[in-house]
Amino acid sequence: MVAPTLRGSRPVRGTTRELAAPWRHVDFVLVGAVLLISCLSLLMIYSATRNQQAATELGGTYYLKRQAAYLAIGLVVMAVVALVDYRSLPALAPFLYAATIIVLLLVVSPLGATKRGSQAWFQLGNFQLEPSEFAKGAMIVVLSAYIAQHRSDLDGRRLATLLGLIAVPLLLIYRQPDLGTAMVFIGILLALLLVGGAKPRHLAALLLLGVLAAGTVIQLGVLKEYQVDRLSAFLDPAGDSQRTTYNLRQSQIAIAAGGVVGRGVFEGSQTNLSFVPEQHTDFIFTAVAEELGFIGAVTLMGLFAIVVWRTWRSAVLSRDRFGTLVCVGILAMFVFQVFENVGMTMGITPIAGIPLPLMSYGGSSTVATFIAVGLVLNVHMRRFT
Amino acid sequence: MGILGVIVISLFAAMLTRLWYLQVLAAPTLSVEAQNNGVRLIATEAPRGRILDRTGKVIVDNRVVNAVTLSRDDAKRQPELLARLSPLLGASVEDLTKRVNDDRFSPFKPVPLVEDVPKETLIYLKEHQAEFPGVDGVQLTQRNYPNGTVAAHLLGYVGQINDTELEAREDDDYKAGDTIGKSGVEQAYEDDLRGRPSVEKLEVDSKGNVLRTLGVQPAVQGNDLQLGIDLEVQALAEESLQQGLETARRSADRLTGERFAAPAGSVVVLDPNNGSVVAMASYPTFDPKDFVDGISQAKFAQLQDPAGFFPLNNRALQGLYAPGSTFKLVSALAALQEGLIQPRDTVVDTGSITVGGQIFRNAKSKPNGRIDLTRAMTVSSDVFFYEIGKNFWEARGRFGPAAIQEAARSLGMGEPTGIELPFEGEGRVPDPESRKKTHDANPTAFPTRDWFTGDNMNLAVGQGDLVVSPVQLANAYAAFANGGTVYAPRVASAVLDPSGQVVRKIDTQTQRTVDLPPSVRAPLLAGFEGAVADPDGTAFAAFQGFPLEEFSVAGKTGTAEVAGKQDSALFSAIAPVEAPRFSVTVVMEQSGFGASAAAPVARRVLEKLAGVEPTPVNRVGGSD
Repeated sequence: MVAPTLRGSRPVRGTTRELAAPWRHVDFVLVGAVLLISCLSLLMIYSATRNQQAATELGGTYYLKRQAAYLAIGLVVMAVVALVDYRSLPALAPFLYAATIIVLLLVVSPLGATKRGSQAWFQLGNFQLEPSEFAKGAMIVVLSAYIAQHRSDLDGRRLATLLGLIAVPLLLIYRQPDLGTAMVFIGILLALLLVGGAKPRHLAALLLLGVLAAGTVIQLGVLKEYQVDRLSAFLDPAGDSQRTTYNLRQSQIAIAAGGVVGRGVFEGSQTNLSFVPEQHTDFIFTAVAEELGFIGAVTLMGLFAIVVWRTWRSAVLSRDRFGTLVCVGILAMFVFQVFENVGMTMGITPIAGIPLPLMSYGGSSTVATFIAVGLVLNVHMRRFT
Repeated sequence: MGILGVIVISLFAAMLTRLWYLQVLAAPTLSVEAQNNGVRLIATEAPRGRILDRTGKVIVDNRVVNAVTLSRDDAKRQPELLARLSPLLGASVEDLTKRVNDDRFSPFKPVPLVEDVPKETLIYLKEHQAEFPGVDGVQLTQRNYPNGTVAAHLLGYVGQINDTELEAREDDDYKAGDTIGKSGVEQAYEDDLRGRPSVEKLEVDSKGNVLRTLGVQPAVQGNDLQLGIDLEVQALAEESLQQGLETARRSADRLTGERFAAPAGSVVVLDPNNGSVVAMASYPTFDPKDFVDGISQAKFAQLQDPAGFFPLNNRALQGLYAPGSTFKLVSALAALQEGLIQPRDTVVDTGSITVGGQIFRNAKSKPNGRIDLTRAMTVSSDVFFYEIGKNFWEARGRFGPAAIQEAARSLGMGEPTGIELPFEGEGRVPDPESRKKTHDANPTAFPTRDWFTGDNMNLAVGQGDLVVSPVQLANAYAAFANGGTVYAPRVASAVLDPSGQVVRKIDTQTQRTVDLPPSVRAPLLAGFEGAVADPDGTAFAAFQGFPLEEFSVAGKTGTAEVAGKQDSALFSAIAPVEAPRFSVTVVMEQSGFGASAAAPVARRVLEKLAGVEPTPVNRVGGSD
């Protein structure tokens, strides 16, 4: 590693050790981008919900206030995560893994709550906790720890172990059912294998197997009809507008309605009149696109790109393999979710219930994302220590 | 990591490309959809135009009625509301529930529960608004018939548009539940009468809640329709027809001793100079008012019951009858035009004629001695016309096998007259060709394939398979009256805007012309005049006391045999003879001789047309 050089006119004080202190290397570009996205998120969630909610006893700012609270919690959690040296994590990996499995088992037990057909929540008073959101981060740490421990020497047996490790939570989440999050797991796994040193033939075989499995699953009717409908709706967008493709059609109309400059905040008719279902959660991107237009949507994509770039940079700069892999896993999770979510609103990817990171309304997803950002900051901060 | 980088960059590129496509390239088309998404159009029908008679008297207009409406939200919130409304509105809870759930009413508007509510009820509801949340009153316009059932068949009725009509008019702005003309001029002039509905543009959210009104396009009332009908003549014609039929029912058929059934009939009065319909009556009749709020099942079933002789049918157009001796106009025309006979040629009428061993008789076998065409027409000699039928067939090498039929068709028989009203019958003019065709199509039902002399003889006196509608018959006499022009009869004369300005004149339409030189027309006309004025004329008795000197009438009686039924009575007349302004035809089912039953009805109508006090219909004696 190259020794750091000081910039500016600050006098040189203390030792190299002090210069390398983690608090001196907080990635403010990443934090800045994340905060900007979060502010946009608050604005758009308010825009998408104020009309609907104004009429109810909860009031027009209900979702806005809650999301602001989640954001505050997220920032605190992010700071905490950043402070604890990430290098202590591999040792905790077995416990983290066990805890993840137990919690995922509990959520499909009678303790879990069912909402819109999925048993994926714990009802905690006024809040719903969605463990699968946290499971993503946990599994990134667990898999990275395993790969790092074996110095990226992934032979057939270790690959099988990795697959076995991820299969358990994956199946549990798939059973909820939450097909979207299960798909994110696969994205994370592939990225980690790619960077972690899996052999090309293994990767090719895995991809082939995946395609075959997906085909078999659809053919054998393991997926429920609505799942197949959602997955294939984007291939036939002119289909029945009353059912699955209704979401898709309305969301594309909303995006197109924005045009280049958008219709203005609180001015989007699709947004104001609640034509796009789930607009404050999974379809939040349509509110951005309608009200802020192409310029606004591209700006948001740019902010996402900055987050991805800084994560990438942290992965490259990390002084150990584990740190690199954790950043790569988070990057994969982040990119997969953004692409899948934004793609689905535009009709280029299947509809799956995945939140848009940092934008969608939701406590679990917000806090989980901030944990991930905290991990990236953590790796970045400690690249000299 | 390089591969991962490539993947990440291509995913972002894909998103940006798609975003560019949707927001920049496809935006113009898709954003129109976004605008329409939140907008609902609520159409409310405009009042229909009025229908006026030739002098401007109102036959049909609209009246404003009070209707009680209920918002669907309130109906859902308070299910017991309907039970409380039921006794007040005089409608069962079941009917009210049906109304609330009726999808022909817009989901964005309160549903009209009951129309034509007394004002007191409305006031009561307004005074007790707190007890009846969501209940309101609106004013609707409804079809109104100030003259009761007069001209019911001509006017037709209005009703709710059905699926077939909706499909046929999908380019127009009709929607389920709209009112549409179902028959008569209400149907024929639907486009003029309807007007343009008011359209309210509402902004709604995805749940259908109305947020605000974006704009209102006001309704445009339908145009008025002026008819050629004279309301007074129409009313009198209907009344006279009914009197005639009632009189017939009190008389017995002298041959069988049975009373005449006289269940139905019609009267047509045309203006020969342009084909305008002056009056058109059909009996039995119906009340168009019954259809206004939607006719009840029971009432409709009653109108469709064969025992009631189908009052909805307009017999003047739809009724098809053997014309009997009224058809002699056609046979004589054929004979003179073709040169089969000369006006002065005579025949000795002994009361019957035997051809091929079969005896063909006059009515009551009455002998008329040596007679020419004019005289034959006056006394209605069948023998004279049997001769014509027989001679035409025997000389078919020279005149063709269907000389009489050609004359009939030239006067418009055997095809629709082209009147603008719906459901017009075609009639049937049989000839050797059609005889063959019907036999070949169904040999069991029609065992005879050949055309015989007897067929031609029967045809010449208006019997056999020949049938015409009353309006065809009246139109043929009108063409004779005006010198040979066959018009398509017209009920309506003009479309007027609500201020009374003429929007469009309804032109007379010439269907064809017939060559009627004086040498042909004069002897026939003299025969028809004699039938009314000559003491030996068949209609002489019926016209006793009629002021023929001031208003001369020429006419022809007809009595048609109908298999399995009593004779149909017919009478066709034109008046005044010097310059005819009216062609009157009366047809009465199962009523006996035309001279006895139909001519007296025509006389009463002609009295009205002549401007004298109409006398009650009296059945008179007669033959034919």
